[in-house]
Amino acid sequence: MKSLVNEEEISDVAKLMKIDLEDHSAHIKRVQKMLEYFDILDRANVEAEEITVQETDLDKLRDDKHIPYDKNLLKFLKSYQEKYVKAPKLN
Amino acid sequence: MDLGISALNYVSGIKNNEFTVEEFISESLDHIKQVDEKLHAFLRINDFAIKKAKEIDAKIKSNQNVGRCYGMPISVKDNICIEGSKTTCASKVLENFIAPHTSTVVSKLHSEDSIIIGKTNLDEFAMGLSTEFSAYGPSKNPWNIDCVPGGSSGGSGVSVAANECIASLGSDTGGSIRNPASFCSVVGLKPTYGLVSRYGLVSYANSIEQIGPMTKTVEDSAFLLNIISGIDPNDNTTLDNKNQDYLSDIDAGISGKKIGIVTEMTNSDGLSADVLDATNNSIQTFEKLGANCEQVSLQMVPYTVAAYYTITSTEAGSNLARYDNVRYGYELDSSGFEFNSYISQARSKLGPEVIRRMILGGFVPSAGHAGKYFLKALKVKSKLISEIKHVFEKFDFLISPTVPIQPFKFGEKINDPVSFMMVDFNTVTANLTGIPAISVPYKITNGLPIGIQIMANHLEEHSMLQAAYALEKTVDLPEVPI
Repeated sequence: MKSLVNEEEISDVAKLMKIDLEDHSAHIKRVQKMLEYFDILDRANVEAEEITVQETDLDKLRDDKHIPYDKNLLKFLKSYQEKYVKAPKLN
Repeated sequence: MDLGISALNYVSGIKNNEFTVEEFISESLDHIKQVDEKLHAFLRINDFAIKKAKEIDAKIKSNQNVGRCYGMPISVKDNICIEGSKTTCASKVLENFIAPHTSTVVSKLHSEDSIIIGKTNLDEFAMGLSTEFSAYGPSKNPWNIDCVPGGSSGGSGVSVAANECIASLGSDTGGSIRNPASFCSVVGLKPTYGLVSRYGLVSYANSIEQIGPMTKTVEDSAFLLNIISGIDPNDNTTLDNKNQDYLSDIDAGISGKKIGIVTEMTNSDGLSADVLDATNNSIQTFEKLGANCEQVSLQMVPYTVAAYYTITSTEAGSNLARYDNVRYGYELDSSGFEFNSYISQARSKLGPEVIRRMILGGFVPSAGHAGKYFLKALKVKSKLISEIKHVFEKFDFLISPTVPIQPFKFGEKINDPVSFMMVDFNTVTANLTGIPAISVPYKITNGLPIGIQIMANHLEEHSMLQAAYALEKTVDLPEVPI
């Protein structure tokens, strides 16, 4: 049986992702259709499968040493004061 | 001057004094001016290209060491950073974003004296397969401007196909290099995961995306891969390829090689008859070249598109969380907003597909749903990896059509998300498993291109390029009608 994910659930997630659905409610139907298609994963018979993850050997990682960065990244920020990011004033 | 020459012919042209770098760059810029209003491959052109060309000409004249690219014009997808210049990812959110550092791939191209002639169009944040999701309007297919050029590296594909540059760099998360390569009739290579540094690439789905070349010939892809591949201390996922020379013995042929024709990719519901016909024809060609072709099944393939969108949305949801408009972004009056509504307001500049992927990316890994979607997708990925390992014990290469269909008309698929996703059906396997894959232009049917995809085992780019070269040498395609 097809289980259509309900619009309310999608709206809740959108809120968590800080997406304003008043502007984007038209997308919900489309997201629903995509999720409905993802139901095909149920037919893959992979329940018993182990999840493998990408492994990186520790010796391949960069030394845990501070490398000074020579560029003044702050100047790329929209707004800053001395060494601090200046966030917009909010209520 | 022939702007349609390959990278290798460009280099010999410069070496033999047939033209100067400045002449070639200047003519390329004129050509871009002429055709790009129609094609919209570029989002921005490098204002310093002529100045750079003059510098390289001077170096050549005074017998100084000159890098392997000899000033050749190369375009770069606009999700790859170059310090001090705009990188927009074709998004309004990053409309004025100036990159603070240069990507490793571009540093490598610069050190070999290439000229980055401009930044190319893409689907916003590389999410799409037609450039219809670019916030700055789509690119047009030079073979038929009513059709999409493929994507997401569509601008890159068009820029190479329309001779606006010699080669381009794209990025491939689910087919974003190979799909536009197939649709525009150029060569597109997605390297083994880790072969090319992603430092300076704006992240979409870190665990599977790769930067790769888009070129006019297979040899040119090998030439560029020689330059951009290898270990990078700024990207811990990079692999040591021992400075392999991908151009050497590229003409070795494929006699005696075993090729698996992926059954699921050659009998899928969405496969067009013309594409199937071209694929069958290519199989005969491979056999004439001395290879042994037989059918091979990868049972996980029918589930890969769902697994791919689940995994990439999850990673995209996390990557896009940084666009809160606090540290960088655009001017937005904050008065009257509380924290969350300010960010929501800022994000209203994101395009529709990005919004959808963010919602999906929040949904599929969430506590109540991860078991149904995200974890299952990871299991499909794991099983696919074991299937791939198993088939490469027997076969040297796997082949399929790069895309199940030919370039489609603008607007034709955009309203049906499922049929849109299915366009990725043949390409996502290489991304989910990390193996290399290349699309080779094979046929023009009804005036539109068809590409054949060759996949090989991890780090087998060298032999994969030999197979691609052998196939390429059997075809004689018409010139692009621009």
